[in-house]
Amino acid sequence: MVEVKNLTKRYGGNLALDDVSFTIEEGSIVGFLGPNGAGKSTTMNIITGYLSATSGEVSISGKSILDEPNEVKKLIGYLPEQPPLYKEMTVKEYLSFMYELKKVKLPKEQHLGEICRLVRIEDVTGRIIDNLSKGYKQRVGIAQALIGNPPVLILDEPTVGLDPKQIIEIRTLIKDLGQNHTVILSSHILPEVQAVCERIIVINNGRLVADGATDTLAHDLSQDHRLILRAEGPEEELLSAISQMEHVKEAVSLGEKEPGVFEISVEGEPDCDLRRDLFHLLSQKDWPLLALKNSDLTLEDLFLQLTSSDASHAAEDGEEPEAQEAEAAGETEEAPEESEASEAEEDPESDSERKSESESDM
Amino acid sequence: MKAICKREIRSYFSSPIGYVCVAALLALYGYYYFMVMMMGSSSYISSVYGVMFSFSMMIIPIITMKSMSDDQKNKTDQALLTAPVGVLSIALGKFLACFFVFFTASTLGLLPAVAMSFFASPAWGEVIGNYLGTLLYGGAMVAIGVFISSLTVSQIIAAIGTFAVSVFLMYIDMLASNLSNAALSAMVEWISFNNRYNTFTQGMFSISAAVFFLSVMAVFVFLTARRLESRRWS
Repeated sequence: MVEVKNLTKRYGGNLALDDVSFTIEEGSIVGFLGPNGAGKSTTMNIITGYLSATSGEVSISGKSILDEPNEVKKLIGYLPEQPPLYKEMTVKEYLSFMYELKKVKLPKEQHLGEICRLVRIEDVTGRIIDNLSKGYKQRVGIAQALIGNPPVLILDEPTVGLDPKQIIEIRTLIKDLGQNHTVILSSHILPEVQAVCERIIVINNGRLVADGATDTLAHDLSQDHRLILRAEGPEEELLSAISQMEHVKEAVSLGEKEPGVFEISVEGEPDCDLRRDLFHLLSQKDWPLLALKNSDLTLEDLFLQLTSSDASHAAEDGEEPEAQEAEAAGETEEAPEESEASEAEEDPESDSERKSESESDM
Repeated sequence: MKAICKREIRSYFSSPIGYVCVAALLALYGYYYFMVMMMGSSSYISSVYGVMFSFSMMIIPIITMKSMSDDQKNKTDQALLTAPVGVLSIALGKFLACFFVFFTASTLGLLPAVAMSFFASPAWGEVIGNYLGTLLYGGAMVAIGVFISSLTVSQIIAAIGTFAVSVFLMYIDMLASNLSNAALSAMVEWISFNNRYNTFTQGMFSISAAVFFLSVMAVFVFLTARRLESRRWS
């Protein structure tokens, strides 16, 4: 459906995108991840025809954006980073302008009414856009992208500025849209991408650094598959007992986490599930097993690893080392904030998701 | 194009800009008309309309200043450029909207002559000639103004730039007469808007002048479209 081939974009001497290629199938939701300035918006702007690539090709449903720009633009609904709203218009006037601008053939009143219901702006259609809150402006921006029911939706940070309840609504909406649209969305919020997208593309410094299914990307890219366990028992004996197990390469104590409870990292042979054996061993010895988890990278770890390692890699290449270092430093500073924010968001999300589910059940 | 033009016109008249521009022009027209025709008891209507025209040169930069620059500043150009509309349609839509505001003001500027026709018989040939000349000259300036507006994100710079160009064009004849090089002088004279406009003020319709002004409009609308296109490649 969306095919991007060897996309390169230079702004003067600055390389914004470096040979990015990917293909997106019809009806899938793809998340675009990357730190600020990685090239996400540039890529989206090129796909939608707002910018031109220095080299490379974009085609949608087999039509090239360069050869048939107007045909391709009809297939795309685009919500840029900053919603393109004429602030002096009312919501209704604006949407009807966009309807005419996009030369949509659907029955106007019905189509616009439907979209307003979908993004829940029916109550504000008579208001001047400038007077709306940021969340409503964002929703008007999403409504604008939906006009004409385009098969491809490109949403640049669609949930920015929304409150948690609205975020859930919009995510649900995007998921619903994903059933019969191809959706590309960018976001800084990792749980959002995880919750909504089937596939993730990570861009850093203009390069594509990872591309894979959301569920398995972190697992596939993790280099070590260790188990972290917590058990109550004597440290030395625990370690020696575990080390002597079959298929165990190494067991290391990570210290006493609670009184008398030790955390131990166990490295097994590749493709070897040690969890049952560990359980049996510990129960046999009467050392209560209090926690056991995979040390697979979370999406956050993965994101940080991908984006920072690529920066240092580029620095080694001698490409503007100072700028790269500065960026890398910026990323590490940003990192804790981001993970905190995402943690904080995770809980209400699952709560309200459950709520919305129960609502729909009713 | 229709959608863009309609939206722009609506935006001029849903905000004070359109009304203020038209009202200010009409007030100035009325004031000057009153001063000369009534107080001065002059019957030379063409000169009155000539001066009234120079007022509109001051208003045109205000009308055109935001037409393109605002879009760039508020990123609404992303909506226009990612919609299935060509850049030429965008530029033309914007130009026509600005021109419509100017057209409204100029047409209402005929009111004094209409009012006078109840009591006397004004030289309608000259009045209509002035009106058409104003529309053509003004249209060319609007096109130039829209183009200048597309070069910057700042409305102020766009307004001042357009104003500077319009003053320069007004006095270009003086420059032509002072140049010693005959070829250069002829070239500068060839650009002259005033020479062409003056034919109209005498109540004559000059096809060549009309074609000239229409060509200037076409060139600058085209340049505006090129400018939009070139931004994609920056």
